[in-house]
Amino acid sequence: MRVRTPKLVRLAAVGLAGATTLGAVALPASASTQATIVNVVGYSVAGPAYKALETAFQATSAGSGVTFTNTFGASGTEATNVANGLPADVVNLSYYSDEEADATAGAIPSNWQDQENTVGGVNPASATVYTTPGIVTDSTVVFIVRKGNPLGIKQWSDLTRKGVRLVTPNPETSGSAKWNLLAAYAAWKALGHTPDQDQNFVKSILEHAVAEPPSGSTALSTFLAGTGDVLLDYEDDALAAVAAGDAITVIVPPQTLLIENPVALTNTGLKKPAAVAFYQYLFSSAGQTILANLGYRSVLKSVWAATKSSFAAFKKPTDLQTVTDINSGGWPVLDKEFFGASVTFPSNDPTHPNEGIVTYLEEFAGRAN
Amino acid sequence: MPVAPTNSLDVEVARPPQPWWSGLRSAGLDSAKSITGKSLVVGYLSLLILIPVAALVDNAFKGGLGSFWSQATSTEALDAIKLTVLCSFVAAMVNAIAGTATAYVLVRDRFIGRSALNAIIDLPFALPTVVAGITFYTLYGPHSPFHVNITGTWIGVTVAIMFVTLPFSVRSVEPVLESLTIDAEAAASTLGASSFYVFRTITLPAIMPALLTGTGLAFARALGEYGSVVFISNNIPYHSEIASSYVYSLVSSGQNAAAASVAMLLLVGALCVLIVSNVVARRLARRRG
Repeated sequence: MRVRTPKLVRLAAVGLAGATTLGAVALPASASTQATIVNVVGYSVAGPAYKALETAFQATSAGSGVTFTNTFGASGTEATNVANGLPADVVNLSYYSDEEADATAGAIPSNWQDQENTVGGVNPASATVYTTPGIVTDSTVVFIVRKGNPLGIKQWSDLTRKGVRLVTPNPETSGSAKWNLLAAYAAWKALGHTPDQDQNFVKSILEHAVAEPPSGSTALSTFLAGTGDVLLDYEDDALAAVAAGDAITVIVPPQTLLIENPVALTNTGLKKPAAVAFYQYLFSSAGQTILANLGYRSVLKSVWAATKSSFAAFKKPTDLQTVTDINSGGWPVLDKEFFGASVTFPSNDPTHPNEGIVTYLEEFAGRAN
Repeated sequence: MPVAPTNSLDVEVARPPQPWWSGLRSAGLDSAKSITGKSLVVGYLSLLILIPVAALVDNAFKGGLGSFWSQATSTEALDAIKLTVLCSFVAAMVNAIAGTATAYVLVRDRFIGRSALNAIIDLPFALPTVVAGITFYTLYGPHSPFHVNITGTWIGVTVAIMFVTLPFSVRSVEPVLESLTIDAEAAASTLGASSFYVFRTITLPAIMPALLTGTGLAFARALGEYGSVVFISNNIPYHSEIASSYVYSLVSSGQNAAAASVAMLLLVGALCVLIVSNVVARRLARRRG
């Protein structure tokens, strides 16, 4: 005999589920204004590092009694969420423009890059390796291949060999994807190619992409699930995956791009002593050492000197390109030139106005697949 | 104050069984209650559906009709919508057949584990769709234990959508089958009709309205599906990117108006399918009297 749950019971269950969902959403939001709760929002890959940083911070005198809420996702998505009012005190996104978008939206003060010096007590010009202000972690773009590197992938040109299948996140949502594609461009440039050839190389990379998951961390999951021969990823994420025992090999290409991840205190975070103390901890030797042990290249000269032996070195300084090497205007220019949906590129193609290089190339690559 | 209560819901010719309090209402005893009830319903629907949809429409048309159209029909949007509509349609059709068969077995057959199977049908509603997506990737991806890799193909997208929308098909047909007496079917069988002939001429016409409604619902639901599909599709723009993922990427890059435009187009499509399936279902029901 079939037993049907009485209607009333089912209704009550639905109501209860609904109420619980509402409660779950409402509770952290109302609690988050408390002075001892620090709301951290970050790009997907930074999640595990923050778990470690927060635990260590809570063990310090400044951090005792402080608790955290954590929201991690694709960098662009989280930038939009913060701009739309997601409670946030410390915001660590993948790249400059996402952080800047929150500043434009008014969630983060416009002089957020100065916080490193004024709040964090670290003068980027003298105490950091690459001197860019407002940057909490450095990394590079590397290749993750199947364990033992069966295809013998060593350098960028190997990625576009016939039949090599790449995984890189979707540049429309993921900061990681933007770094990866710019790295391809920068590496090709470092090898002495012309800008046209550099662009064509980015196109070939996109043509070889078999999956473009929404974020850096979903890209790693997709690769680990067996898709593709090479995953383009943050060096720190790759090293963390190796440490976690995943069956992969990390290849640091001879030429690549320096990744710089920005952090900022929001307007609400600046008013919370606990958030300010946590921000200072991020730039302290202790905080930077934790990050270095997790595979990030420390921004602090002192910590970098002590930990650089565990990272791949580059033959020439120009082998590690920076965004300002690609264009002296840095991200504000590159973001429009490569990923823009609202600039004029290529200006000679009337069917594709207002598109950045990558936005434009995606179409040809996707259709060719 | 209206003296004679109106009930705009009762437009069907075949009236559903009236609840016990309908006598009270037709006696005009609770017209005041019915007005509060109606305003509550309208208020509730406004908060949940009408206001958000109005905001969406407003967002979509912020830049005027021209910008709505160019954003909703950009090449990337069209590629994503084409893939989504194709997969949703195939999934809805397959589920119409498989769902009816499942409902038939659940209602007509008695076997061990029947109630367990009955409970499992609703699982796609309960399971977070992302979990379903990752499970499908593991089972039918490059490391598939069955050596089946459907990731990055329209078949993979369709299978994920079929999973999410199966309950719509089963649950819409099931109650009609249950209420159907088997007398006519039994009579036809004794007169020598084959079981397929009995199904085609007696059972199918009876369940057709419900089947249409369920299929319409499944299709409409499929158009907006994200979590279960985004992994298995591999998400390559212009190639295997689904519409909801494209909308998500637009929102992520701050292009809210474009996102609203594409969402609006999907919404109108879903609405059309729902209206057509409902109208046809009602016509069929009326013809049967």
